Amino acid sequence: MTGALVVVATLLVATAIGFALRAANGRVRTAGPDAGGSVPDEVRAVLDPAAAVTLVQLTSAYCAQCGQAEKVLAGAAAATGGLAHTTVDLTDRPELAARLAVLRTPTTLAVDARGVELLRIGGVPKQAELLDALRDHLPA
Amino acid sequence: MPSPPQVDPRGPRFAAWVTSAVLIAVLLTGWWPLLAAQAVVFAIGAFAGLRWSPYSALYRVLVAPRLAPTDERKDVAPLRFAQGVGFVFTLLGTTGYVLGVPALGIVATAIALAAAFLNAAFGFCLGCESYLLVNRLSNTNKEVGTAR
Repeated sequence: MTGALVVVATLLVATAIGFALRAANGRVRTAGPDAGGSVPDEVRAVLDPAAAVTLVQLTSAYCAQCGQAEKVLAGAAAATGGLAHTTVDLTDRPELAARLAVLRTPTTLAVDARGVELLRIGGVPKQAELLDALRDHLPA
Repeated sequence: MPSPPQVDPRGPRFAAWVTSAVLIAVLLTGWWPLLAAQAVVFAIGAFAGLRWSPYSALYRVLVAPRLAPTDERKDVAPLRFAQGVGFVFTLLGTTGYVLGVPALGIVATAIALAAAFLNAAFGFCLGCESYLLVNRLSNTNKEVGTAR
């Protein structure tokens, strides 16, 4: 009897988590923990100096969706002037992941030329939504 | 960059459904040998490779021939890591049932079921997502002297 209740409760909770994750996936967050702050030097080092905004994609070796995210971001960067794309592998750098307050990969940071984090996206970004959110920071 | 080993993503989804069914049966019956068998399946997937997992074999023999082939591919490394996470929880659960601590058995099995069901129904790999977290925790441990 306990077992049956646990099964029902577990499936209900997992379903709720599934819908919550699905809703959060790819959403643009401008009010994240580090939004408006400067990124660590390790991230600053990979920024494209010629670009107004660099999309810094954080990946790891055990990332199921990083390939999909990379496709979207590379496509967005190729199609948009002033926008660059690069990746940082966090697999062996847990201390950097901690400083960036990143719990999952892929997470994408949009960083301007001064090294200020404009926004971040967990999961696979949606290109139209991303470009819309960055419009004010990109050359017209 | 050489492309990493990849699989047809429907194989792991199928395996996750089978895993969910097995774990539900464990919770309903409390029969620990079934949970131990699931732990062995996870261990094979994690340590020997997904190809050797019995559920993958089942997919190849029973399911794949009935489906249209797909070009969609998924990296193997995250899936193997997730199998390892599943192994830890099912091993904990088996230990709980065997040692007469059913609460441990039930909780560990329920967590494994939640992860398997999320993978099967939503395509979310909780084990993969937890990698950074696990890595961060093990790094914290390293600072107090526990080698990984």
